[in-house]
Amino acid sequence: MVTTAEPTAGQVAGRRFRSARGIVLVLLCVIVVGVVLAALKPSRKPDDLDPGSPKPGGTRALAEILKSRGVDFQASRSAADAAPRAGAGTILVVTRSERLTRTDLERLRGSVGDLLLVEPGRETLAALAPGVEQDGPTFVLQADPQCNLPAATLARTVEFGQSETYTVPSGATGCYPESGKPRVVQYQSANRTVTVLGAARPLTNGELTTEGNAALAMNLVGARSHVVWLIPDIHHESSGDRAGDRTLTDLLPRGVKLFFPGLLVAIIPVALWRGRRLGPVVAEVLPVVVRSAETVTGRSRLYRAHRARGRAAEALRAGARDRIVPLLGLPRTLAQVLPAQDPGAAREVVTAVAARTDHDERTVAAALYGLAPGEAPQGGAPGHPGQPATGWGEPADDAGLLALADLLDDLERQVRQS
Amino acid sequence: MALTGRLGLLTLVAAFVPLLVPSGGLLLGLWGLLLLGVIIDLALAGNVRALRFHREGDTRVRLGETANAALIVENTGRRRVKAILRDVWPPSAGVAPRRAKINVPAGERRRIDQTFTPTRRGDREAVTVVVRSVGPLGLAARQLSRPAPRTLRVLPAFPSRRHLPSRLARLRELTGLHSTMIRGQGTEFDSLREYVVGDDVRSIDWRATARRDDVVVRTWRPERDRRLYLVLDTGRTSAGRVGDIPRLDCSMDAALLLAALASRAGDRVDLLAYDRTVRARCENASRTGLLSAMVEAMAPLEPALIESDAAGMVSAIMSRVRRRSLIVLLTELNPAAFEEGLLPLLPGLTARHLVMIAAVSDPLVEEMAEARGDLAAVYDAAAAERARADRRRLIAELRSYGVEVVDAPPDRIAPALADAYLALKAAGRL
Repeated sequence: MVTTAEPTAGQVAGRRFRSARGIVLVLLCVIVVGVVLAALKPSRKPDDLDPGSPKPGGTRALAEILKSRGVDFQASRSAADAAPRAGAGTILVVTRSERLTRTDLERLRGSVGDLLLVEPGRETLAALAPGVEQDGPTFVLQADPQCNLPAATLARTVEFGQSETYTVPSGATGCYPESGKPRVVQYQSANRTVTVLGAARPLTNGELTTEGNAALAMNLVGARSHVVWLIPDIHHESSGDRAGDRTLTDLLPRGVKLFFPGLLVAIIPVALWRGRRLGPVVAEVLPVVVRSAETVTGRSRLYRAHRARGRAAEALRAGARDRIVPLLGLPRTLAQVLPAQDPGAAREVVTAVAARTDHDERTVAAALYGLAPGEAPQGGAPGHPGQPATGWGEPADDAGLLALADLLDDLERQVRQS
Repeated sequence: MALTGRLGLLTLVAAFVPLLVPSGGLLLGLWGLLLLGVIIDLALAGNVRALRFHREGDTRVRLGETANAALIVENTGRRRVKAILRDVWPPSAGVAPRRAKINVPAGERRRIDQTFTPTRRGDREAVTVVVRSVGPLGLAARQLSRPAPRTLRVLPAFPSRRHLPSRLARLRELTGLHSTMIRGQGTEFDSLREYVVGDDVRSIDWRATARRDDVVVRTWRPERDRRLYLVLDTGRTSAGRVGDIPRLDCSMDAALLLAALASRAGDRVDLLAYDRTVRARCENASRTGLLSAMVEAMAPLEPALIESDAAGMVSAIMSRVRRRSLIVLLTELNPAAFEEGLLPLLPGLTARHLVMIAAVSDPLVEEMAEARGDLAAVYDAAAAERARADRRRLIAELRSYGVEVVDAPPDRIAPALADAYLALKAAGRL
């Protein structure tokens, strides 16, 4: 038999998931790929490798040490400025080479003097160190020289962190290899020494004191008495490239520029189409209807909020008496007579109930009239005439009220069955 | 005028054209073309202004039943009109179909059959008729809304009709159309007949016996041509919802059953609905037309959220009812409202009339009184016991004035009221 039961919340959720799982999967893939790419790409701050920056990523410490040792240290902010300064007997340190344009690279290639390329990109390598190529990154922190380059052998172990490795052209020296691929490559070109350094970390303020980092940095950078430290700014005025002056609108093709006003205009008929209704919305004039038992539930909440156990108990007792008394064959009017008014009547009821149930008179008197066990109306003495009716036999706590309700139910049931 | 989704889509497509052909002129040209299309559509669409609407069919329907009606569309123009039509009614009128396609040639009429399945009692007014005629290109449409007035009166459901046959059978027993006629089942002298064993000896007519050889007894029958005056209280207490229906609707149902029964019994029945003013009245209706007249009077009644004016109600009754009557007041036994309003006035009323008060009790209160288990339930039970005690006290007080009180839950109020009436009739107290 096929049942067409209401789908449970779980089934509905499952169906919604199945219908949307394609989108969810694509979104997840995008997120995962994005996270992986972001994790792989080393984060660079604008002032990393800046010889003026005292931050952990800056190179001010190295610059100051070199200056104090009598090395002529010049920082340069553009290739156009650096190229003429790099004459014979100087070493040009090229950092942040990703900011260099093709024109810049042409200029640098025309310079004379030694070159130290720090984390060069593909284009920079091709332009300034032809023959050396990137050979994949390595993530092993430290490495030993394993070559006979004096700068390296003097520095011994160096901490590179994440580093690029390079191929070694013939006639070049490769140092600090990881599974055969060196992190540092040095070779002699026609008239100059070109050194490629795979990681900037040995030069930075933060890591200069680690292992042999300082030694390697001093040996590589301070190899000549004049140092030109090139850290290019992006789109520098003097770079000669005017691309930076063009705004976004200049760069957009004409078709795209026309597309957006077209889209804006298209919104108008769509809005008018959706906005025009086929006739007015009709409001139903609903009659005001209140739940009839609202006053009763309201009173119940009031009782509860004020813990009016006395009043609640009195109401329960009055109701029970009203049902029990006619069952006993006594006049109904007797039900609402309180012991204070007529102890005899109360005693009569208590005796009759006790006779028909397995409870004794004291319990019955306590249940039906709220009299304390000692006050059971046996001696005919009136209870406390001065005490208000509601004050009698107020249950001490909520459990007492619950117990009273159960006791009254039990009395009524036993009287009914007798 | 209305635009279509097709126009929106085409404008959107036009926006993508410059990506392929980057020309501003082409885009402007496309827009111009679409604008031209809109103008052509508006010019060639069916002339909705020339349509005339007529209605026919039922104007009355009992709640829970379905009425059949029709909307007739007449085209007085010179061109054919193809359009979508929406007949706008309040949601509770339950009109179907809500939208219809029409295709009316010039000078002709077309009929749209409709059914109404209302979900609430009262009068429902047609709001308007909206017609939308789309042009040949499907880019734009002419739209017009025009009133086509009509009122559908939704009458009370009268679900207690099913109790009528059994009560009529008992009435027939009383009136002697059926079985025995014995003393005590009426006070109006009917006829003399011979004594048979089993007759009450107190009903022997000695004078007539002396004139004949036989022992003759008098027979009696219940009174006829008595007056019943039903008073519906439409004040705030009638707005209370008992179960799923307002107290007023229960009262109406009970009043209808009582009226149906009393009119068969040969009594005259009048109806008054009152809170602070007379809301509805049904007086001097013929016996055959009584029920429909009452139902008609009750249909538009709604509970008013105001305290009923008991003094005004009593004076309205006293001024209208001269002869001794059975006044049946259908209200709620609310101690506070009664003590301030009706109770002081009751002696004046009971002195001249027989008064019966019928009230719908709430089964939820009984349920709450039985509730046990946790603390909230016990407090609920206490509050319910308190409410029941108040109600019992009020009923006892009313009875001490000589008022008949019928207090029953909604599903039993109508038969209980009918039974109370039959008991009065049998006792000859009318």
